[in-house]
Amino acid sequence: MTLQDVDVAVIGSGPAGMAAAIKAKETGAQNVVLMERAEQLGGLLHQCVHNGFGLLYFGEDLTGPEYAHRFIEKVMDMKVRPLLETMVIGISRDHEITAVSGKNGYITFRPKSIVLAMGCRERSRGALNIPGTRPAGIFTAGTAQRFVNVEGFVPGKKIVVLGSGDIGMIMARRLTLEGAKVEAVVEILPYVGGLIRNEVQCVHDFDIPLLLEHTVIQIHGERRIEAVTVAKVDNNRNPIPDTEREIECDTLLLSVGLIPENELSSMAGVELDPVTGGPIVDEMRQTSVPGIFAGGNVVHVHDLVDNVSWESELAGASAAMFAMGTKWPETWKIALKSGRNIRYVVPHTISGERELTLYMRVGEVEEGVRLKIGGIASKALRVVKPSEMLKVELSTAQLKKLKRGTKEMVVDCEKRADK
Amino acid sequence: MRSGQINKVAAEERIICIGCPMGCMATLTIDDKGQMVDIAGCKCKQGRKYVLEEYKSPVRVLTATVLTQGSAQPLLPVRTVTPIPKTKLAPGMMALAKATAKPPIKMGDVIISNLLGMGVDVVATSDLSF
Repeated sequence: MTLQDVDVAVIGSGPAGMAAAIKAKETGAQNVVLMERAEQLGGLLHQCVHNGFGLLYFGEDLTGPEYAHRFIEKVMDMKVRPLLETMVIGISRDHEITAVSGKNGYITFRPKSIVLAMGCRERSRGALNIPGTRPAGIFTAGTAQRFVNVEGFVPGKKIVVLGSGDIGMIMARRLTLEGAKVEAVVEILPYVGGLIRNEVQCVHDFDIPLLLEHTVIQIHGERRIEAVTVAKVDNNRNPIPDTEREIECDTLLLSVGLIPENELSSMAGVELDPVTGGPIVDEMRQTSVPGIFAGGNVVHVHDLVDNVSWESELAGASAAMFAMGTKWPETWKIALKSGRNIRYVVPHTISGERELTLYMRVGEVEEGVRLKIGGIASKALRVVKPSEMLKVELSTAQLKKLKRGTKEMVVDCEKRADK
Repeated sequence: MRSGQINKVAAEERIICIGCPMGCMATLTIDDKGQMVDIAGCKCKQGRKYVLEEYKSPVRVLTATVLTQGSAQPLLPVRTVTPIPKTKLAPGMMALAKATAKPPIKMGDVIISNLLGMGVDVVATSDLSF
C-alpha cells in the first residue's frame, strides 16, 4: 500500500485513535493508517500506570499500559498500518494531510476520510494567571506523571497540588508512594474535580489535606519554588482577606482542566463548539467538514477511557463507510440544545433514525433530578456533578416518538418534584 | 443492620462510598469488640455492602514502577495481580524499590513472587523488549 491508496487516516494513536482504526478496518475499509508522533502506539496510556481502566469496556480492572496493550495487539492483528514518529502538521478541507517524520521527511497524501483523535492537553499556569515569581518546580500533573512513571525522576519532595482533577489526585498518591510529602490538594470549588474513587483512594487513603474552596494566590521562590500562599475563596471564587497562609513546597503541580487539541481541526475548517472546545459532530461523529470524523477527548473531555474507546469506534466505523462510498440518508437533522443545568450534549445533532448514546455534562451539582430528552426519554438520577459525565441511551422506539420535521430538541436536568 | 447483642459503643468510623457519584458519607458504629453494629448514611443496599467490606478489609491494587537494568527504558510499570490490604501499600513500595527488571520481559511476567508473603505476585504491565 502506498499512502496514495489510503482509505482512512487516523490522527493520534491513543485510546481514541486505536479504537477508531480497528473499527474502520472491521467495518471494511481496506487501507487504514494510524499516525502517531511518538515512537510507540498508545498515547498517554503508557504513563498512566495506575489501574481503573477497562472496568466497563472489558469488565476488568486494568492499568493504562495493559489497556493499551490489548488495543495495540488488535491494531497489529487487523493490519492497520502504523506511521510512528510522524507528526501531522496540516489537514486541508479536501482531506490533504501534511506530515513530517525523520524517516520519510515531508509527506502529503489524500485519504478518502480522516478521523481526528488527537486527544487533549492540560491547562497550564499561563491559563490561570497566578501572581508571583516564575521559578522552576511548577509542572502540570501530566508532565509530572511522565517524569515519575516513564523517565524515572521524582520532581520534588514537598508537593502542593493545585486543582483536584483525576491526574492531580492520582499523582498525589503516586508521589506519596514514592516517598514525597504531599502538603495539600487545593481546589477552588466546594467539591473535587475528579472521580469520587480517586478522592477516596488517592487523597483520603493517604491523609493528604484536601483544601476545598481554596486557591493558590501567590507563588514564592527565585530559582526554585519555595512556597505558595493559599487562601479561602468566597462564593464568587474571590480570595477572602485574612484567610491567607503560606505552605512551604519545592514543587507545585497543576491539575486544572484539559483542553481538546484542535489546531489541526481548525486548519481543516472544522467548526468547533466553544463549550466543549471540540468539533461539532453529528451522531456518526462526522464534523462540519464532510469526510472528517472525530472521537474521544478531541471532541469533549471524558472521565473514563472506556467511553473514549466506544465513541471513537463510532467515528472509525463512520469514516470507513464514508471511504467505501456508503451514503447515509441525510433526511433531517435535529439539533440538541442544552437546557436547564446542562452544560453540553454530544453529539450536537442527530437524525432521529438510529439508536444512539447521548453524552452530557451538567453545570452544577444537584440532587434528586430527572434528565429530560426533548419529551421522548427521561432518566431519574440521585445526583449529578459536573465532574461525572452522564450517558443516556436513546432507542429507536423512543426516537419514533419524534414528530417528523422536528428541528430542535432540548435536554433539561430538572429538579424532581418529590425531592 | 443491627446484629446480635450490642456491646458498648467504642468508636465511630466514617467511610465514603465510591459506588456512585453520590459519594455517601457512611458512619459506622463500632462496639468495643471491633464489631460493626450500625451503618448510617448510605442511600442504597450496594453502598452498605461496599462500606461494610471497606471497613472489614480495605484492599487496593498496588501499581508502581521498578527500575530496569540494561534497557533503553528506565522503568517498567508493574501491579499486584489482585488487591492487597491497604496497610501493605507502603511496605509493598519498599519491596519494589529493591527490585530490578531485565529485558526481555512480557506483560504478565512475574517481577516479585509472593509479595511480603501475602501470596500475591507483582507482574509487569508492559512488555520490555530491549
